[in-house]
Amino acid sequence: MKDSITTRLIVLLTLCAAAVMGVGMLIDYQLSKNEILERVKLESRETITSVIIDLENLLDGVEGSTLFLGKILEQRDYTQEGLTQMLKDIVENNEDIFGSSIALNPDLVDDPLGFAPYYFNREGILTYANLAGEQDNYSRKAWFVEAVRAGRAIWVDPYFDHGGGEVLMTTFSVPVMRVDEQGQPYLYAVVTADVALDELHRYLQALRLGENGFGILISKDGTVLSAREPESILRHYLERAGEDRVAWQEIFEAAMAGQTITRELDCDQIDGRCMIRMDSLKTTGWPVGVLYSQTEILKPLWDYQVKATLVGLLTLLIMFGAVAIIARRLTRPLTALAHAADDFAQGELQSPLPPARGNDEIARLIRSLDGMRRDLSSYIQNLEEVTASRSRLEGELTAAREIQMAMLPQGGEAIETNPNFHLWAKVRPAKTVGGDLYSYYSDEQYIYLIVGDVSDKGVPAALFMARAMSLLQQQRTNLKQPDVGMGLLNDALEQDNENCMFVTLFIGVLDLHTYSLNFASAGHTPPSLLRNGLATTIEQEAGPALALASGLEFCSNTLQLQAGDRLAIYTDGIDEAFNIDAEMFGMARFNQCLAASLEKTVDVAGLGIIDSVDAFAAGTAQSDDITLMLLDIPAGNAEGSSSKAQVSRGFKLDGQLNASSGEWLEHTLEQAGVAPDIIMEMTLVLEELVTNVRKYAGLPEDAELTVEVTAAKTALTLTIIDGGAAFNPLEDAQRSPLGADIESAEIGGLGVHLVTQLTDEQVYRREGDQNLLQIVKQLQPNQAK
Amino acid sequence: MDLTTTVSVDEDNSVARVGLKGALNTDTAPEFEERLQKIVAEGYQLTVLDMKELDYISSAGLRVIFKAAKQTKSAGRRLAAANRKPHIDKVFEILKALPDMAVFANDQELDEYLDSMQSKVKGD
Repeated sequence: MKDSITTRLIVLLTLCAAAVMGVGMLIDYQLSKNEILERVKLESRETITSVIIDLENLLDGVEGSTLFLGKILEQRDYTQEGLTQMLKDIVENNEDIFGSSIALNPDLVDDPLGFAPYYFNREGILTYANLAGEQDNYSRKAWFVEAVRAGRAIWVDPYFDHGGGEVLMTTFSVPVMRVDEQGQPYLYAVVTADVALDELHRYLQALRLGENGFGILISKDGTVLSAREPESILRHYLERAGEDRVAWQEIFEAAMAGQTITRELDCDQIDGRCMIRMDSLKTTGWPVGVLYSQTEILKPLWDYQVKATLVGLLTLLIMFGAVAIIARRLTRPLTALAHAADDFAQGELQSPLPPARGNDEIARLIRSLDGMRRDLSSYIQNLEEVTASRSRLEGELTAAREIQMAMLPQGGEAIETNPNFHLWAKVRPAKTVGGDLYSYYSDEQYIYLIVGDVSDKGVPAALFMARAMSLLQQQRTNLKQPDVGMGLLNDALEQDNENCMFVTLFIGVLDLHTYSLNFASAGHTPPSLLRNGLATTIEQEAGPALALASGLEFCSNTLQLQAGDRLAIYTDGIDEAFNIDAEMFGMARFNQCLAASLEKTVDVAGLGIIDSVDAFAAGTAQSDDITLMLLDIPAGNAEGSSSKAQVSRGFKLDGQLNASSGEWLEHTLEQAGVAPDIIMEMTLVLEELVTNVRKYAGLPEDAELTVEVTAAKTALTLTIIDGGAAFNPLEDAQRSPLGADIESAEIGGLGVHLVTQLTDEQVYRREGDQNLLQIVKQLQPNQAK
Repeated sequence: MDLTTTVSVDEDNSVARVGLKGALNTDTAPEFEERLQKIVAEGYQLTVLDMKELDYISSAGLRVIFKAAKQTKSAGRRLAAANRKPHIDKVFEILKALPDMAVFANDQELDEYLDSMQSKVKGD
């Protein structure tokens, strides 16, 4: 059932549904993904903005407090205790400030080490430290030196505060300048506020950026201040960028230039792709960013898609079942119909059909099949009757064909070999029987050649042909003058020819002495002559076709033939054969074929020409009866030459050997025009020889010997060939002494005497495993014609 | 070709006249031999083979005649051939068969011979 509609329907529908669902889910996935990523982008923007705001707030607060302290110190002097107390208050009341210091210009202080009190939060406890120690003196610290050098408030790059807070921090340093009596500004002190980086780091890492997302803060020189992995901190960001150095560098530089940038890249810190948004803090100029893991963002979507796919598959399965049920239901009558149709095809016309319900396509199909079945059974019945009557008719026609062919010399295909001429003729009806005819017969001096074509073909033509043949037989003696004979034949055929059938006829009489051909044509295709390799159509004075009107006169035509000529007489079934392009074979093509047959013997040539016609008309039915007669005047058969006619035949060594070989030889020599007494002698010779072979060759009855006769003008040669034990009858056969008295004479052995006496030359030789006996009989000049 | 034989007997003169018609050849010889042997066995003084209608004879046929001639001669009787056609005659000639066999060219000769035989008998 692999090819059934049901299966195809199920498979196709399921595949279609699967494809639609698959495409839908894919689109859904893409849309959702884009949507999510877009949302994440927006979210990241908001996140980064709020991060910056928060950080700016924090740093601004620190800056504010510090700058305020600096302003105060510009204008007012405090005692050292007062300064220390103020410092303590600031650190105590400002939780964003890790530590703070007022480092006075050492030049303005009595103590050469200067004065620099420092308060800071050590694990939540406010601790005091004096930075004006001998070691690590504050006047050499970056936060002091750089602020003084800058002459304005600066954020010092992050550093580890040894000897102070002992934490990683960054410091906001504000130089406090005063003006002396001469109006010259001078450095009074540097006020600082420390922000522990740890605080910034905690803040950034506290952002909810998913499991894998994290905030990142980088200083202006590229040092990582905050990242997810602790080992990244205080390292250059490019060290941690891995393969994405270029991308990271671009992001970093964009952020440094004050741009806000969003990028997607593969980052080492997160599996899969990550999305990064980077901006920078206005206060410190530090780039700050947030990273999200795309995989993580999209994971819920992925999970959702997996579930959706499972649901889809389940739906598909259910749909498959439903389609299967529906398809089976729909195609059940079709299946039954197909079975019934198979049965019909095998001849079981009574096989039941499914009931036709309603008027849908299947019901209509069932009804028409039912109708077809009825028609078919009555048709088959008719056909059987018609076939029976036709085969009866065909049988009759076959018998008719045999009878018709038997009317023609040698049954429709004749070959006649004679020293003076070689003749071959064949009729091939287009249907079982036909209207073409040929005939020939010869006497001492003449050979009569007749070829005819009855109008139409098939049975009517065949019957009229039979009539023509019998009338020809009747008029046989009147044909010596073909024109006269034609007139007589015409009158005979015209009588009672109510159907107006007609015959075209060629009657030719060839004088075997002079090779002069006298012929008459009753509307027949002109014959062709092959002479010296050139085939031409002979011009003829043709009369009307026979049997249509009485008292007609016909012209007599004469043609002088010569040795080596080949005459072809044929019916229009040849030149009017059509090929599939409706072209006619035509006389020109016939003449070409005739010329091409030059080297072949008459029978081979004739069959070859008919084959050419068949090849030309291949693909079409034979349109008309075909008749071809070829007559060769053997080359060099002119007076004094030594042309030969050679025939041979095999004979079984049974009881019929003598009779059959004798008859054949008689017939052959008669045909060759050998005188009757010579024929009798040669027959006698042959009898003696074949009897010898039968007696002495030691061959079984079904073995064969071959007799070959060569009839030349001056001599007859008889050759007997047998495959028996070596036996030379000329020496080995018993030979009685001749003329002996009866008492002493041996009985038998007379045959060889006869042979040697009746013929002129006897040669025996053994060729391979064959005995070959050749007998030559010289002919007197007048004994053969 | 077949061979037809007709036999007429003149008991008074003890003459059997065997007419042959057709061909006496390898095929017909055995049957003819049987027939002729019977006639010869009857012991007629003269057996005449009338070949007026015999068209053909081969060595097999001659052999039969030869054998009969031999038998009659040894029994002191005679076998004669009459009305041989030229080509039959030629065969006999060639074989120089039966040089002392009586040969009658035609019926007249035969009749004359019979008459002479009769008178010879009467004369005895």
